[in-house]
Amino acid sequence: MSDGIKRRDFLKVLGASGAGAALTGCSPQKVERLIPYVVAPEDITPGVASWYTTVCDGCAAQCGMWVRTREGRAVKVEGNPNHPVSGGALCGKGHATLQHLYNPDRYGGPMIRENGTLRPATWEEAEALLAQRVQGAAGNVLFIAGAMGPSMSALADAFLGAVGGRRVQYDALSDAPLREAMRRAFGTDALPRYELAGARFLVSFGDDFLESGPSPVEYHRGFARMSAVDEHGTKGHFVYAGPRLSLTGLNADEWIPIRPGSEAALALGMAAVLVASGADAGPYASLLSSFDLGAAAQATGVGEDTIRDLAQRFVSEGPSLALGPGVGAHHRSATAAHLATLVLNHVAGNVGRTLHLQGGPVGATRPWADMEAAIAAMAGGQAGVVMVHGANPAYSLPAASRFTEAVAAVGFKVSFASAPDETSALADLVLPDRHFLESWGDSAPHPGVMALRQPVMQAVPHFDAKQTGDVLLSVASRLGHALGGATFYEYLRGAHQAMHGADAVAFEAAWREALRKGVSEHPVEGAGAAAGLLEPAAAVSFEAPALDGDGDFTLVVYPSSRFGAGEFANSPWMLELPDPVSKIAWHSWVELNPAAAEARGIREGDIVTVASPHGSVEVPVWLYPGIRQDVVAVAMGAGHTDFGRWGTGKGANAMALLPAVAEQPSGALVTLATKVTLTPTGRRQRLVTTEGSDSQHDRPIAPAVALAALGHGAGEHGTEGGHGPLKELQGVGGFVPVDAGGGKPEAFPLEGARYGQYAGTEAKARWGMAIDLDKCTGCSACVTACQAENNIPWSGEDQVLMGRELHWMRIERYYEHVDATHASHVDVRFLPMMCQHCGNAPCEPVCPVYATYHTPEGVNAQVYNRCVGTRYCANNCPYKVRVFNWYRYSDENVPEPMNWQFNPDVTVRTNGVMEKCSMCMQRIRDAENRAVLEGRGKVPRDGDIVTACQQSCPAEAIVFGNLRDPDSRISHVVRSERTYRVLDALINTQPGVNYLKKVTFHEVASGGHQ
Amino acid sequence: MATATKERGALTHPDVHHLSDVNRDVLKILSRPGKGWWALFALACAGVGLFFGTWGYQLYRGLGVWGLNSPSGWGVDITTFVFWVGIAHSGTLISAILFLFRAPWRQSVYRLAEAMTVFAVMTAGLFPLIHLGRGWLGYWLFPYPNSRFLWPNFKSPLVWDVFAVTTYFTVSATFFFLGCIPDIAAARDQATGLRKKFYSLISLGWRGTDTQWHHFGKAYIFLAALATPLVLSVHSVVSWDFAMSIVPGWHATIFAPYFVAGAIFSGVAMVITLAVPMRKIFGLEAYLTIKHFDALAKLVMLTSLIVLYAYLSEFFMAWYSGEEIERSSFWNRLFGQYWWATWIMLVCNGMVPVLLWFKRVRHSISALFVISIFINIGMWFERWVIIVTSLTHEYEPWAWGVYRPSIFEMSLLAGSFAWFGFWFLLFTRLLPPVAIAELKEVLPPPLRRQRKEAH
Repeated sequence: MSDGIKRRDFLKVLGASGAGAALTGCSPQKVERLIPYVVAPEDITPGVASWYTTVCDGCAAQCGMWVRTREGRAVKVEGNPNHPVSGGALCGKGHATLQHLYNPDRYGGPMIRENGTLRPATWEEAEALLAQRVQGAAGNVLFIAGAMGPSMSALADAFLGAVGGRRVQYDALSDAPLREAMRRAFGTDALPRYELAGARFLVSFGDDFLESGPSPVEYHRGFARMSAVDEHGTKGHFVYAGPRLSLTGLNADEWIPIRPGSEAALALGMAAVLVASGADAGPYASLLSSFDLGAAAQATGVGEDTIRDLAQRFVSEGPSLALGPGVGAHHRSATAAHLATLVLNHVAGNVGRTLHLQGGPVGATRPWADMEAAIAAMAGGQAGVVMVHGANPAYSLPAASRFTEAVAAVGFKVSFASAPDETSALADLVLPDRHFLESWGDSAPHPGVMALRQPVMQAVPHFDAKQTGDVLLSVASRLGHALGGATFYEYLRGAHQAMHGADAVAFEAAWREALRKGVSEHPVEGAGAAAGLLEPAAAVSFEAPALDGDGDFTLVVYPSSRFGAGEFANSPWMLELPDPVSKIAWHSWVELNPAAAEARGIREGDIVTVASPHGSVEVPVWLYPGIRQDVVAVAMGAGHTDFGRWGTGKGANAMALLPAVAEQPSGALVTLATKVTLTPTGRRQRLVTTEGSDSQHDRPIAPAVALAALGHGAGEHGTEGGHGPLKELQGVGGFVPVDAGGGKPEAFPLEGARYGQYAGTEAKARWGMAIDLDKCTGCSACVTACQAENNIPWSGEDQVLMGRELHWMRIERYYEHVDATHASHVDVRFLPMMCQHCGNAPCEPVCPVYATYHTPEGVNAQVYNRCVGTRYCANNCPYKVRVFNWYRYSDENVPEPMNWQFNPDVTVRTNGVMEKCSMCMQRIRDAENRAVLEGRGKVPRDGDIVTACQQSCPAEAIVFGNLRDPDSRISHVVRSERTYRVLDALINTQPGVNYLKKVTFHEVASGGHQ
Repeated sequence: MATATKERGALTHPDVHHLSDVNRDVLKILSRPGKGWWALFALACAGVGLFFGTWGYQLYRGLGVWGLNSPSGWGVDITTFVFWVGIAHSGTLISAILFLFRAPWRQSVYRLAEAMTVFAVMTAGLFPLIHLGRGWLGYWLFPYPNSRFLWPNFKSPLVWDVFAVTTYFTVSATFFFLGCIPDIAAARDQATGLRKKFYSLISLGWRGTDTQWHHFGKAYIFLAALATPLVLSVHSVVSWDFAMSIVPGWHATIFAPYFVAGAIFSGVAMVITLAVPMRKIFGLEAYLTIKHFDALAKLVMLTSLIVLYAYLSEFFMAWYSGEEIERSSFWNRLFGQYWWATWIMLVCNGMVPVLLWFKRVRHSISALFVISIFINIGMWFERWVIIVTSLTHEYEPWAWGVYRPSIFEMSLLAGSFAWFGFWFLLFTRLLPPVAIAELKEVLPPPLRRQRKEAH
């Protein structure tokens, strides 16, 4: 051998230089050192999720929650199936509470106003200041708070009792008129418990219980069980009477477009018809027997026949239930309208059957009148210190209430807002509260139901927040008051121990069990309520309510199903979620009937000034056939002036149009109060809508079947392509050639090809989904659930405007029949559309790099890191369910710490790649892994896999499972004669997502395809 | 002169006296460029800067700078790609097919057309890369050996496209270069200095010997035969990018012949667009005669009829199929949101070329130039109509949408013309833009003419 380089040396040098090149060539980013846990936390297993129970604080409904945490971070919230309210489901707002937790706009810590600006302070300093000011207020402390749990309410009252002051509960959406009506009718302070699932004929007098009622998730479940066709082929009937179709209204079978404020006339008219045919009306008999049906017809704008017919069906098709005007549609006669509805229910014999006087929601809301008094007190200088907790009255009250001016008159203003809002902007001291996922607490949504709220993670370290209960205890102790515990946790435990009894050991077990299960139920004795209707204590006027102004249109201001009364307006998930009715995202709109618009030369997208005697807003027009021609509607919740980076300046605040008037006798804030004029500004804007067309154009996208036709295999668009066994075409082995029978026509379709053979695989499953369109209400909770689970960022207003929304799921809303001129049937089809996981997927063969392919389990998979972004798959997708990452949305749009919410089980996608529904592949894998660990092979049990959309669906419309297993739930479901697959009959895509046709009471057109 | 014209048929060159005149007239084009050329070249360079600047920004920022969306995953990018691929087709048609068929009028225009072909493919070939969401991974579309054993999906028309375009570029560039060799040698013989070195290098030692001419002739005819099927196949494959999909408005069996005819149509129109100013600027009236333009115009006429037939048959088939979604797509094409694009297409490609039935129009250079511009515009819009109107109006009515190109896409479109112009301007000054050797073949041999003159 020569003296040159030896082979070993050569290899060493090669290896070293190669490694050097690899190191330097790999990443331009700075090298970060990964530091492992020195002492690993006991309760964290990397890669394995921990689940905690808690209670959602997104609205007054207080749904039970399961929170999924990974490595100590909350990444997903789901409904707690043990909880009587949520029953395992969750609404979109519930999901969005996670974005409040990680909201980058949250206060970094306590702030003290100095020389007009807020400066950061320490908690020590801030609490000392508060203690000093509270002491200085000499018993004049005003504590304005939203709804709070029992223990927190008790603590606040104890604190105020100790330092001298009073608590004013402020609820932006109050159900005071219903409570007042219940008091007058039945002598109870409780809200009624509606047994929606038990009703067969439901009439809503403008109650939007699916979106803004006291408990939307609970009512959703009940409504779906009532209205969906059951195994006996019957379904409940739902009639909506109101000036505007809300999401609830769009789910009705009939719409009676009554004049705004004429609910009482219609309800009493119906009751009068029943009384005339012999029904008992108790103390209201004289009123009803002399009731002028003609006047009712006149007042409501519907014919006497309609009222008679409705009344008769209300009894004959019972058990029935009537619901009064919703919490957002309170006019000056709202109590009367509720009373009339209760009378109708009583006359029809529903009390005790579908309407129960006990067991209703207990989260008592307070009327506006309380707040009105507080404002007067503040303006009159009777409040030394005002503290605001869990409420944003500076935004959610009409400007006419002069809340802001009244607060300015108070010497010292304290806000417990965790993120900036309009009210905290007025504060001298900000003591940011923790998010409920970082806090202890409790809630009692129903009588006998107690649920605990526990911190599911360490407080997000970016924000030095402190739970308000802790602050109150600390300040009280500084002032020398012992309220029972050094921390709110101790206080809470103490309160529960007191409730439970003295046995510490038993209590400990019960406490742990309550935390584990998320809820504890204990029997309650029935509250006192009259058996029958009470004599009217005072005369109630059932006249139509007075309206301010003399504009052409009556203004309806309704709570948004996405923003509530504005609390969720800084959540990009909620902003980007298309409104379930209008399908508009990010901005506000005013709803106007197309005929009314045409008469005035107004086009969709025209920006108009909506002016009432109390104020005006500028909003673009959205033409909506589901609103009366003399009514316009604007949603609450938008138009914030100081609400974080996303919420500020988006849309218009409808409250600016309203007076600050209390309804008599309940004291609720009147929201249907005024007439308005519409004046075009001459400017236009393109609506940020996800709607391409509101009509199906006779295509078999969302067909329906008439109830009468069920059982005969008929239905709109026939059943072709809907039935029969599921077809599969190709697996990882690729297309398997089959005998084409010499090409003779009768050989087609080729059976082998249609059923598919998976060459070289032994897949046990064909994952599929079934969605019952008769249950789906279009509420869009699934969309946000999917967004939360699958790390789908938001694209932003300008991007949605361009058609670049990123949702993997969308709810299509097609009008079939919506008529605002007279009472008639409503036919609106909601269709949740996501990747259909076609057995014969058009997207797969066109991808040049196999970035999309078929798994042996029938899932159409997308390999993000193989995708080069030709977008051919999206072009060739007939369902248009593939979304493209035009920018680095996940990096650019999601600021720290909101990216803490990202699910570690799902890849965060970069720009230039295609993505779409994966059928929650990570959940399938998780269930498979669990099955392996439990020694069951790689086959999850039926029901082990619950997709995010399915989990969230409050209507229980979605079923996921193995279509190959003939005993699985999905296999049973898809055997329904209503099953169809979208476009399959036309283009042979053989989807794995099955839909069950909506069932209508009216005949459905056959459409162009049979 | 005039006698020679008659003797050799109607298509020779009346004003050329001697074979040496050809050398003189053509090679003078290769002399120092004037101010006009420099101005145009500067403009082209600026446009190329814009082109690559836009591309670079788009790579840095993401495809979002374009106006594309869901449902319109393609727009100006693929429209421009197909436009340039189409342009590329007439060159090979004129040089290869007409060579094989011995069409006597091709000699004057074919060099120009071939150069156009090569540069158009060079332009078109960039767009599949440009349109990728992750352009830096474009090489994944090639079947290169790799440790992960990953291959492209041979079922995907986009992979066929990669092969079609690269093959076409290889063959047309080779064919173009091969045909240039004798003329480069002629240029070499006249050039001095650096140019001489350059021409010496790329003339590959051409000396004009009999053996070389023999080999040259064989090679040329073989390459012509090889290139001929490509004229038909490449644009057929490009059409399958659309026809193999299930998009209403794309999924049609007529697409391959329709696209080939459209490609030739647009390519010949582009030849006219380029030849008219070149003839004027470089004083080539003697070489590019009215007769040549007349022949080109007739080719335009023919292909225009085929294209119009294809348009009408598409509309007819949509109606005749009774398939509602297909019908809706084509109704939307005519009267929907992009109606103007469809009517631009129909007027420019179907109606304006009707003028060519008149001999006076075919013999008016300026009229031909104007018509060719119309056709260029119309053919760009044809691809726009096919891509955008179809994608924005598909199966799901809920997913119907609107696509508005952004300034970045328009600058890519403009930049692609600059990129093409950049190469074409270089070509006019570096390579003989008229085929010297082949022209000489069709001129009367010197001896015969001398004998005639003696009579």
